[in-house]
Amino acid sequence: MPALDSSAALTQQVEIDLFQGPFDLLLTLLLRDEVDLLELPLADLVEESVTTDTDERWDLDASSQLVLLLAAMADLKGRRMLGEEVEDEPGPDAIAMREALSARLVAYAPFQRAAHWLAERLRAAQGPRYRRVPPGTAAPVPVRDDPARLRAAMDKMVEAPPVPSLDHMGVARRPLPELLGRLRESIARLREVSFESMVVDCDRLEEALTLLAALELVRRGEAELRQDVPFGDILITGVR
Amino acid sequence: MTELARAIEALLFIAPEPLDQPTLMEITDESPAEVNRALDELRERHAESTGLELAEVAGGWALRTRADLAPICDRLRARPREDRLSPAALETLAVVAYLEPVTRREIGRLRGVDVDSTVTSLLDRGLIEEGDRAQPSGPARYQTTTHFLERFGLARRGDLPTLERFELTGPEAQAIRARLQQAELIAEAETGEP
Repeated sequence: MPALDSSAALTQQVEIDLFQGPFDLLLTLLLRDEVDLLELPLADLVEESVTTDTDERWDLDASSQLVLLLAAMADLKGRRMLGEEVEDEPGPDAIAMREALSARLVAYAPFQRAAHWLAERLRAAQGPRYRRVPPGTAAPVPVRDDPARLRAAMDKMVEAPPVPSLDHMGVARRPLPELLGRLRESIARLREVSFESMVVDCDRLEEALTLLAALELVRRGEAELRQDVPFGDILITGVR
Repeated sequence: MTELARAIEALLFIAPEPLDQPTLMEITDESPAEVNRALDELRERHAESTGLELAEVAGGWALRTRADLAPICDRLRARPREDRLSPAALETLAVVAYLEPVTRREIGRLRGVDVDSTVTSLLDRGLIEEGDRAQPSGPARYQTTTHFLERFGLARRGDLPTLERFELTGPEAQAIRARLQQAELIAEAETGEP
C-alpha cells in the first residue's frame, strides 16, 4: 500500500450514523479501539465518501487514496469477522491434537493417582523399625585374635608396588657423559677427528648425541669445530 | 504357645531380613500348614499390648517395632535417613511398579518427559533395579526392589491396588478435555493466533 500523505482524503468530512467528522479522526478512533471496526457500517461509509457533490472538482489522488483506505478497512473487517468464526470452530488438526493430548493425560492420570497412593503409603510405613544393623557399624573385626594374619594383610597394603618397566621406550643406550669421554679420548690421541668417523656404526639418536657431546666440548673450550662445506663432514680439533 | 511358634519367633527375632515361608519351612522342617498356624499364633501373641508386631512385608515375615514406638527407638538408633521423593520420582516409581519390567523409553513415552535422571536417582536409592531384558541386546528393563516393598510397607510385588481403581471416571476425563479447550482459547487470545 502506498504511503499516505496528509491529503484531501484524510480531511474529508464523513457523516454516518455512528460518526460525524473528518476521516482521519475516524481512523484514529478505530486504531484506538474507541470505535469498533465490526460495528462500523462500511457500506454507508463508502457511499458517503465517494458520492461527492458534482460541483466539486474530482481529485484523482485524494479519491484513489480514499478508496485504498476503505478497501483496507473492508479487508480488516472481513478478516476479523472470519477470525471470530475460526475461534468458535477450530480446524480438524487442532481438534485431533487436543484429543490426542487429552487421551494421553487420561491414560497417565491413574499413575499420578497411584503416585499419591504411594506417597501416603510411604508416610504410613515410616513408623515401624526393623531389626537391622545400621550400615557402617556392621563390619565384623575379621582377625581379632590373630595378629599375624592381620599383619600379613597390612603388609600387603603398605608394600611398595613394583617399579614399572620402561624397556619398551627408546632409552638412549649411550648416555652423554660416555660419549663425551670417548670424544675427549679420541681428540687426545689424534688431536683432530672427523665427526663422520665417530659415528660410523651409530643410529640417528647416537649421532645426535655425539654432535651434542662435540658442542659441549666447544662450550668448555676443549675443542673447535670446522665444517668446510654445508652438510659436509665436521672436523673436531682439540684445543691445547 | 507351641514349640514351633516359639522357634519361629526366635528365628524372626534374629533375622535381619524378612523370612519367607519356604525358608521357615526348611529351617523348622515343618509343613506349610503348621508354619502358617504358628505364624497365626505369633500374630495373636503380638496383637495389641506388645512392643513388637508380626508383619508380612517384602515377601516374608518380620518382627518389627510398633509405629508409635518410633520416637523411643530412634533415641537408641538414629532414624534411617529418609530422603524425600519428589512427585516426579513417585510418579516414575508408580509407572515401574505397575508396568514392571519396563524400559526407560516406555516410561518416558508415558510420562511425556525425559526420565533419565529420575530413573538414575531411583536406581541410586535402591528402589528399582535392572531386571531381565526382553532380548540380550535389548534395552534395560526396570523393576521394583525388595527395598521398595519394605519402604512402602508392601507384603509382596503386586501388592498394590489395581490400576483400574485409579482410572478417571467419564466426567473427570470430560473435565480434562474441557480444561484443555479452555487453555487453548486463552493461549489463542494471548497470541492472537488460532
